[in-house]
Amino acid sequence: MPIPTDPTLDLDLTAVTDESRKLAASINPGRGRWDVIVVGSGAAGGMAAFQLATAGIKVLMLEAGRMLDHRREYRTMEWPYLSPRRFRVPSDHRPIAVAEYNFLDRPYGGNPAYDRFKKVTSYAGNTFTRNWVVNEKEHPTTGTPYSWVRARVLGGKTNFWGRGALRYGPLQFKAASHDGYDVDWPISYDDVAPYYDKVDVLLGCSGTKEGLIQVPDGIFQRPIKLNCVEVAFQRTLAKMGRRYIPGRAGVTTDGLLNSKYRARCMGRGRCGRGCDISAAFHSPTGLVYPARDTGNLTIRPYSVVSEVILDPATGRAAGVRVVDANTREVMDFKARVVVLGAGTLDTTRILFNSKSAGNANGMGNSSGLLGCHLSEHLMGPRGSGFIPARIGTEPTLDDGRPISPYVARFRNVTDRHPDFIRGYHFQGGGGAYEYPSMAHDLPGFGKAFKSSVRKHYPALLSIGGFGEVLPRKENRVMLDPDTKDAWGIPVLRFDYRFGDNELKMAKDMADTAEEMLKAAGAESIKIDREPLPPGWSIHEIGTARMGDDPKSSVTDRFCRLHDVPNVYLADAAPFVSGGTQNTTWSILAMCWRTMDYLKERMRAGDV
Amino acid sequence: MTTRAVSRRAALRRIGAGAGALTLLPFLSDEGLAAFVKIQAAGAPPAPKILSASQYATVEALVEAIIPADERSPGAREARVADYLDLLLSEAPPAPRKQWLDGLAALDGEAARRFGGPFVRLDAGQLEALLADLSRYETVKARPEEASRAVTRNEQPTEKPVFVEGLFGDLSWIDPARPRPLLEAFFADTKRATIHGYYTSEIGIHKELRYKGNQILAEFVGCQTQDGKDCPYCGQKA
Repeated sequence: MPIPTDPTLDLDLTAVTDESRKLAASINPGRGRWDVIVVGSGAAGGMAAFQLATAGIKVLMLEAGRMLDHRREYRTMEWPYLSPRRFRVPSDHRPIAVAEYNFLDRPYGGNPAYDRFKKVTSYAGNTFTRNWVVNEKEHPTTGTPYSWVRARVLGGKTNFWGRGALRYGPLQFKAASHDGYDVDWPISYDDVAPYYDKVDVLLGCSGTKEGLIQVPDGIFQRPIKLNCVEVAFQRTLAKMGRRYIPGRAGVTTDGLLNSKYRARCMGRGRCGRGCDISAAFHSPTGLVYPARDTGNLTIRPYSVVSEVILDPATGRAAGVRVVDANTREVMDFKARVVVLGAGTLDTTRILFNSKSAGNANGMGNSSGLLGCHLSEHLMGPRGSGFIPARIGTEPTLDDGRPISPYVARFRNVTDRHPDFIRGYHFQGGGGAYEYPSMAHDLPGFGKAFKSSVRKHYPALLSIGGFGEVLPRKENRVMLDPDTKDAWGIPVLRFDYRFGDNELKMAKDMADTAEEMLKAAGAESIKIDREPLPPGWSIHEIGTARMGDDPKSSVTDRFCRLHDVPNVYLADAAPFVSGGTQNTTWSILAMCWRTMDYLKERMRAGDV
Repeated sequence: MTTRAVSRRAALRRIGAGAGALTLLPFLSDEGLAAFVKIQAAGAPPAPKILSASQYATVEALVEAIIPADERSPGAREARVADYLDLLLSEAPPAPRKQWLDGLAALDGEAARRFGGPFVRLDAGQLEALLADLSRYETVKARPEEASRAVTRNEQPTEKPVFVEGLFGDLSWIDPARPRPLLEAFFADTKRATIHGYYTSEIGIHKELRYKGNQILAEFVGCQTQDGKDCPYCGQKA
C-alpha cells in the first residue's frame, strides 16, 4: 500500500470524480430541453457555451472527461524538493519519449513493451498535467507518427496551454494571394479583427503595440519586460532588422473587471501547471463557470460523443449520441443545433463516425475533403548560447512571467526566400530559471564545475522555432475501422508527413538561430537541427476547411457544415492555413464570430 | 521526402537528446518518496535500500567530488544526493541497476589499480587525476559529420520500444562511433543524476543558485534598461 507522503503528488481526486459522476447521472435525455448542444469544454467549447448562454440560449455542454477542482489541481507554487519524484510522473506512468514516436509501431499504447505501465501519455510527462492528459492505451491512433496530445477534463488543453496569444493577420488569411500556394481563406483579417479585439478585452492579453503586419497588434494589457540577456539579444537583432518583442500572453496582467474568477498576474511564472489565481486564461474559470452562472448552461461530464445523429427526414442534425465514460450507457441527446468543439481532430473524428444512409464517408463530407489538409507547426530546430554580459553575474529573477519573448517572422514577409514559402517565428528567452538545465552540457567536475554552472546560470539564452506546415490535401486523417478506443469508437488513422518546404524551412530555422546567436556574441552555442515529431506543436488545424464552394470545402465561411445546416464547428478544424501563430487566440475569436452568426440565425428562426 | 535507414544507435541518440531526456529517469515509488522525504526533512542517518554501507560511502564521496561544498554553499553530500541515487537504483530495472553497480565496483577497482586503495581513501590529487580521466570524453570535440544530423522521419516502425540503457538515461549520443567504456558510462550516468538531485534540492536551488523566483511579484522587473536606466545587473546602458 503506497504511503501518501506528499499531498501534492498524491492528489486525492475523489471529491471531484464523485461530483462528476453524480452530475453525469443526473443529466439524461429526458431531464431537460436544450437549444444547443456544445461538444467539448476547451477554448472552443468554452467560448461557444459562454456566447450562447449569455445570450439566453439553453446550452448542454458535453465533456468527455470529468469536472475540474481548479483550486486544488492548479498547483502553481510548488518546489521540486517537496516532491521527491521531482515533478516527474509516477513509476506506473510513461510519457512516450521524443524518438519513440518515429520508431514505435502504432498504436503506441498497444505496444506490448508498455504493458507494465498503467498509463502511457503523448505529452512530456510531469506530475501537474498527468491527471488531465489521456492514456494512449484507451485512446489509440494508427498510421504515421503523430504525438496527438489530448486532455479529457473540463477545460481541456487550456488548463496547461502555453499562453501564446497571437493573431493571424492578412498574411495568413490571404496567404495564397501572397505567394500563390493553395487558396485564401474565404474571409479576411477585417472580418475577424473585431472579434480578436473582443477576446482581448474579455479575457485579457498582455503585449506591446509593434505595428507588424505578420502578427497584428491587439488591445493589450501591461506587457512583460525583457530580462537582461533578452535585452542584449534584442539589440543584436535590431541591427539585423529583426524584431524581438515581448511575448503576447493570454494572461491578464492588469486584471479584469468582468470576472469574479480571475485575478491579475502575480509574476510567479508556473503557468503551465494551471494558474491557481487564473490570471492565465483557462477555459473553466475564463468561460465555463461564468457561462454556468447565467443559469443557461448544463454541463454533463464523462460524456463521450460518438456521433452526430442525422434526421433523414429533414437532412438536419437531430442531436448527438453519447457514451457515458463510466457506465458505458449509450444515450441520444436532442437539440436544435449542434456545435462541435472537441478539438480539431476529435471533431473530425466525430464527423467521420456520423455515418448515415447516403453519408457512408461521414457527415459533412460530400466534398470528400473531411480530414484532409491537416496542418500544424513544425518545431524542433532551436539554438542556445550564453550571453557574455551576464556570464559571472549574480542571478536576478528572470522567469516570473507568463511567457518569453518572440522573434517575429522575418522570412517571406517583404522578401521572398529562394528555398521555401511561408515562414516561421521563434519563441524563447533566457536568464536564471529554476532548474539549470545547461549544467548537463558543461564539462568537468568538482569546484570548477560547480562554479561554472553558477557562472553560466544567469546567461543562458535559448530560442525555438515554429514553422508553418503547408496545408496539403494528402496530409490527412481518416477513420480506422479496425481499431477502436476504450468506448468502442473507431479511431483516427494518420497519414501526415513533413514535406520538402517544411524541411527546407527547418534547415533555415536552425541556420538563422545560429546566425543570431553568433551575432549576439553568445558562447557555447548549441544548435538543434532536428524537427520534433509531427504533432508536437499541439496546434493542429484544417481538417474541415472552410470555403464558399461546397465542392472544395467542408464548412461555409461561418464554420457551418455545407451539408448539414445546423452543425457548426467551433474549433480550428475549419481553418484554411495557420501561419506560424499559436492557435488558441484564433480559435476564441473565430468561435465568437461563429456564435454571433448562429445567434442571428436563431433569432431569425432559421434553426 | 527521402527516408533512410536509422540505426538503433541513432535512435538511442535521439532519445537522449533534448526535452525528452528528463522524462527517461527511472521513477520512484511512493515508498521511495516517503523514504526520501524523511531523509531530507530529518537529516536522518542513511538507510540505503540497495547500496551497502561501504557502497554508500563510495557514492557519497563520488557525488561530493562532482559537486563539492565550497565557500558559497554545501555540496552534494549534504544535499543527500547519495540517497537520491540509492532510490533511483531501487526502482531501476535490473539491467541498468546491475550495470551501474558494476560501474561502482569498477571505480573502486580502478582506484585500487592506480593508487592502491579504494575510492573513498583517495586524496584530493588522486581523486582529481582519476575523475579527469573519466570525464575526458566530455571535452573531445564531436566529429564533423555529427554536426549535421540527417532528418529521418516515418521509417519502418519497430515493434519494440527502444528503451534506454543507463540508470539515468542513454549516454551513447556523446560519441556514438566508439563503444563507451564501463567506467566512462558510469561517470556520465552518475554526473547526470548528481546534477539533477543537487539542483532540485533546497540547498541547490536556494543556497547555491540563489534562485529568486516562485514568489509573488507586483510586476516582473526585467532588465533595468527597459525602464530607461543603466542596468546594474548586466551592465548594459539605457
